[in-house]
Amino acid sequence: MASGQESGGGSGMSLMDLITSDPVPASSGSVTSNPPPNTSYSSSMTNLTPASTLGKLPPSEKKTKRSALLKIQSETISAAKALNPVRANIMPQRQKKKPVSYSQLVRSVHELSATSDQKSSQKQLFNHVFPKLAVYNSVDPSVAPSLLMLHQQCEDRNVLRYVYYYLARILSDSGSQGLSAAGGIPTPNWDALADIDTTGGITRADVIPRILDQLTKEASNPGVEAHARRLASIKTLTSASPSNSDILDKLYEIVFGLLEKVGDTKKQKKAVFGKAGSDKESVIRNNLQYSAISALRRLPLDPGNPAFLHRAIQGISFADPVAVRHSLAIISELAAKDPYSVAMALGKLALPGGALQDVLRLHDVLARVSLARLCHLLSTARVLDDRPDITSQFTSVLYQLLLDPSDRVCFEALLCVLGKFDNSERSEERAAGWVRLTREILKLPEAPSVSIKNTDALPPKLSTTNKQTSKTKRPQPLFKLAMRRLESSFRSFSRPVLHAAARVVQEMGKSRAAAYFLGYADDESAQQFSYSDHVNSVDSDLNDVSESKAKHARNQSFANGPSSKDTIASLLASLMEVVRTTVACECVYVRAMVIKALIWMQNPYESFDELESIIACELPDPSWPSALLNDILLTLHARFKATPDMAITLLKIARIFATKVPGKIDADVLQLLWKTCLVGAGPSWKHTALEAVTIVLDLPPPQPGSMLGIISVDRVSASDPKSALALQKLVQASVWFLGENANYAASEYAWESATPPGTALMMLDGDKMVAAASSRNPTLAGALTRLQRCAFSGSWEVRIIAAQALTTMAIRSGEPFRLQIYEFLHSLTLGGVQSQFSNMQVSNGEDQGASGTGLGTLISPMLRVLDELYRGQDELIKNIRNHDNSKQEWTDEELKKLYETHEMLLDFVSLFCYVPRAKYLPLGPTSAKLINIYRNRHNISASSGGMNDPAVTTGISDLVYEYKETHKQSNTIDPELANAWAAGLDDGLWENNAPAMDRVNEFLAGAGTDAPDVEEIATRPSGTYDDMWAKTILESDEAEDDDNRSSGASSPESTGSIESSISSHFGGMSSYPSLFSSQPQPKTSTSRFNNASTDSISSSYGGMGSPIREEFPSYSTPPMQSFESFDNPMAGTQSFKSQNDDGANENPQVGKALYDFSAGGDDELSLSAGEDVEIDYEVDGWFYVKKKRPGRDGKMAGLVPVLYVSSSG
Amino acid sequence: MLLAVLFSNNDGNILVERFHGVPAEERLHWRSFLVKLGADNLKGAKNEELFVASHKSVYIVYTMIGDVCVYVVGKDEYDELALAEVIFVITTSVKDVCGKPPTERLFLDKYGRICLCLDEIVWKGMLENTEKERIKRLIRLKPPTEA
Repeated sequence: MASGQESGGGSGMSLMDLITSDPVPASSGSVTSNPPPNTSYSSSMTNLTPASTLGKLPPSEKKTKRSALLKIQSETISAAKALNPVRANIMPQRQKKKPVSYSQLVRSVHELSATSDQKSSQKQLFNHVFPKLAVYNSVDPSVAPSLLMLHQQCEDRNVLRYVYYYLARILSDSGSQGLSAAGGIPTPNWDALADIDTTGGITRADVIPRILDQLTKEASNPGVEAHARRLASIKTLTSASPSNSDILDKLYEIVFGLLEKVGDTKKQKKAVFGKAGSDKESVIRNNLQYSAISALRRLPLDPGNPAFLHRAIQGISFADPVAVRHSLAIISELAAKDPYSVAMALGKLALPGGALQDVLRLHDVLARVSLARLCHLLSTARVLDDRPDITSQFTSVLYQLLLDPSDRVCFEALLCVLGKFDNSERSEERAAGWVRLTREILKLPEAPSVSIKNTDALPPKLSTTNKQTSKTKRPQPLFKLAMRRLESSFRSFSRPVLHAAARVVQEMGKSRAAAYFLGYADDESAQQFSYSDHVNSVDSDLNDVSESKAKHARNQSFANGPSSKDTIASLLASLMEVVRTTVACECVYVRAMVIKALIWMQNPYESFDELESIIACELPDPSWPSALLNDILLTLHARFKATPDMAITLLKIARIFATKVPGKIDADVLQLLWKTCLVGAGPSWKHTALEAVTIVLDLPPPQPGSMLGIISVDRVSASDPKSALALQKLVQASVWFLGENANYAASEYAWESATPPGTALMMLDGDKMVAAASSRNPTLAGALTRLQRCAFSGSWEVRIIAAQALTTMAIRSGEPFRLQIYEFLHSLTLGGVQSQFSNMQVSNGEDQGASGTGLGTLISPMLRVLDELYRGQDELIKNIRNHDNSKQEWTDEELKKLYETHEMLLDFVSLFCYVPRAKYLPLGPTSAKLINIYRNRHNISASSGGMNDPAVTTGISDLVYEYKETHKQSNTIDPELANAWAAGLDDGLWENNAPAMDRVNEFLAGAGTDAPDVEEIATRPSGTYDDMWAKTILESDEAEDDDNRSSGASSPESTGSIESSISSHFGGMSSYPSLFSSQPQPKTSTSRFNNASTDSISSSYGGMGSPIREEFPSYSTPPMQSFESFDNPMAGTQSFKSQNDDGANENPQVGKALYDFSAGGDDELSLSAGEDVEIDYEVDGWFYVKKKRPGRDGKMAGLVPVLYVSSSG
Repeated sequence: MLLAVLFSNNDGNILVERFHGVPAEERLHWRSFLVKLGADNLKGAKNEELFVASHKSVYIVYTMIGDVCVYVVGKDEYDELALAEVIFVITTSVKDVCGKPPTERLFLDKYGRICLCLDEIVWKGMLENTEKERIKRLIRLKPPTEA
């Protein structure tokens, strides 16, 4: 059994069954006759359990006990032998004997408490009743009177210990939904107990005050003899709910009262460090000090209260190590809130020889951890900036902790140095941490902490002491010490140590990334010299400030003594070598942490082949749980945030996830990563970024079982149905992403290029035109080809989305892409495409329907839109020609008609995807002038039409649309605004509609203490979840043999969400993050902001089918003559402005115009001889060039004949 | 914060669990998660060999002692290494109470006493006592140190 519910029900019984070995039910109330279960082993043991009652029992009971004992033993053996013992051995047990019920136990407590002065009663309570009662997860208040009676009357310590235990549980039990900390079998309903119980009807409200009263009295009892009980009652009191202010007040009173008496350490300086002083009084004092501080630690922090701080600081000097630990923990928490008063209050304690120095020698790891945190907080506190004397004391203690024999303490100190304290630190702090780590020189007068011999308080596995550092008294670079320490930790065999060390390296990488990002490595390079006094030589490389960031830091050399020359680079390299070998660890969590560390330590300027191959090797391992893989994916996200330059690298790594483990990763998160990377990749890398996304589409589609023989699916790890489904979901996501963002990536928008194809192009026939177009814009052409392939060779879900994506592209792209898509869609409905794609004739076995792809009904409304567009354009051209021929002005009536057509088409188009209404010209660029005339005449603002948008009126776009409207005014370039949007890239738009965003944000914030898999569970009743888990555990062998790449938790969810994603494709695409709708990013040039930047959030596909037909019943099947519309292109009034110019290439080819050239077409560029240009690429004898400044016609870029330009390279 | 201490047997039956600061609705998931971890990794593990896992910012260290699996879940200052300390204390006192690495039977026989030990080791989500002798004294209601 694996689930908690079962533990409450089935296993609950089994637990009780197992623990109860009573052959006779105790319903008679005579628990005394039951054989004690715990004697079965104690008889064979060397009396290690002093409380064992064997031999003390009356002889008459021995027989029954012995028989029971034999029985237990045989059962235990059979249980051990049975393969599936829980199921197998519980049943017979159940049949043989009934477990002791809760009510029986409670009754026994009542009865025995009445006779608690008798030894036998005490034994019964101690041996049977109380241990068994512990199995239940809470104790009901009706037991309390008996417990209190025992508390008052019983003398037996063992019984009393249980009494305190149960009183604490009653106090802590909030009484609702089992919120008590203790697990176990659910206690039966208290109401139901009322009639069983003689003292039924007692509520918590009745007993709590009595318990508190009694305990408070005892806690204030100054009697020396009772001081053990006093400690226990103070502890029990802290269990009371902290929300009750009365109890809190009482507790504060008790604790402060106690500390008032015993807190002053000056009187008893003798008892040193845990060694029990001979003086009895001081021992008692120490115990009380411990008790008071422990209780104080459990009380809510009282930051403004000087008494609280004072008492906590007193605790540092206490003799009890646990007390010191707690007081340090309290102080470090206080220091986070008010560093100044803490530093002032610490005063002398921080001086050499003070109590803080003593803590360095304390055998308590957590105490030293708290000390590290405290020192870090105080040494970096801004309010103490003008007190360098104080901060330096704490810095010195912190650095001494770096030499601590415990890895836990050393790592904590290292993390503090790195600026990682909690998850809220700013990147400046992290960057400063990296600088500190790499530049600081440790000069310790001595290393007191490492000289201690006794590390016995530490588990042996953790005390990997660092001998060589302790020997060196010479000033040492901090960095070198840290590297050595980490390296030695990576040689440990303990998984926790490896995991922790990898985590420290990861944090180091974060700090380093922050330092590079902020350029701190350069700015503060002068500090490098600050330690040159202490070392014999400083490498000359240090002077080289002007070098590039990465190289600079790497070339900085440390001088470690006169002989050795270790650079940061060499030290890091050797560390990273050890880190990489740790990937061989058999524990996936360690490996995951190592990979995260590698991702963070990856520098944008280094080759990432090694990292890529490590990840590629790791992923196919079936033991990786999906949560962990998603975590790595999120790490990629975080890495991208830290260093946007790495977009391409990270995309390539993310690609491995998509291909190797499609079933395990969260498609939403992956998609978000695609998107952020695509945005962040910058203009010159957009194509590569999009390619990295579309790689998913190159995977063969998941095949139905019957086709497995024919089609090889070797390349994809989707051979099982679950992964296949997940892969399919991923493919859908990818197709959608492609459709939505291809225009962005290709910087091709109908309203930007705003031109019918140049005359030269139009002279060509269709194929050549397409070829020319694809050479002009390979990104878009590539995306188009992939989508076309998907539109007929994918599974039906993919085909649908591909068709939708193609429509989106058709609407958004200029010619000839639109025409190309139109043609494709048209033939798709007729089913004639397959012959054209002869190399992809593979059917996936589905019946593709009479129309070839089964998409006829879906595509026809899309075709109608395009038809309508073309028809409108035809009409317009005809009208313009008529007007031109007759030299007629356009009448208002005609303009109105034109405008209405324009608006209608806009509405129509908006149903399919988002287009910027103010700019989009469904009737072609020639209509712009006329529509503007009409608008000006009638004072229609371009954006006001938005309210009539059917997407709005039908509620499809919801609030999303409003957003667009608000930003529409800012069409003019406003870099600051753009930057502001970019800065808030994640926060504005996606928050509403991208579930992955929450996950990413949460991850970035370092949050997440929630239970694993909780998101998935939320979507279905927990009952099925339990069954599933139970199955996974019990049948894990057979279930996971063939299908061990998806953890049980994720797979049902992914199958379920296929449906939901499909429905979302039909209903509206707003749940996907869309690049098209993204906010602008700051790096691109302003021209981008003219188009996509002001777009809305998402497109909507809603109402694609019948509503359109109802609205426009007159649409006929696509008339082929609409192609003619492109035979008569009108010269565009707007200049062709390619989006490729919105960012300079990395290494542009430079050229010079040899002759004057006047543009003959819209996409051509006029040149005057001698003008300098940048050559972007070459197309069929034409250069696509950019000028430095706009020419007379205002154009910056365009095509020029190759011969007109000298390419000087 | 020590979020949870959990004991289970080889078959994933929960024997003891102590949660702190974990919402009631998440406990079930933690339980399942931990038990699955154990089922996946603890088969054939050496006695007291430490295993590690993590989930978001929460760390998990678990081990096997006799027939009993012990899981400790923590966050913040209770990272892997601190949890290793905690689990060391727990296994030491369990061994101490049982006299050896316990079988499931033995563990259940000593159930009450183990609960008391746990009560001394983990107190309101924080590690309290770490020394075996001290714990031994405290569960018999003796003061932590005596003259």
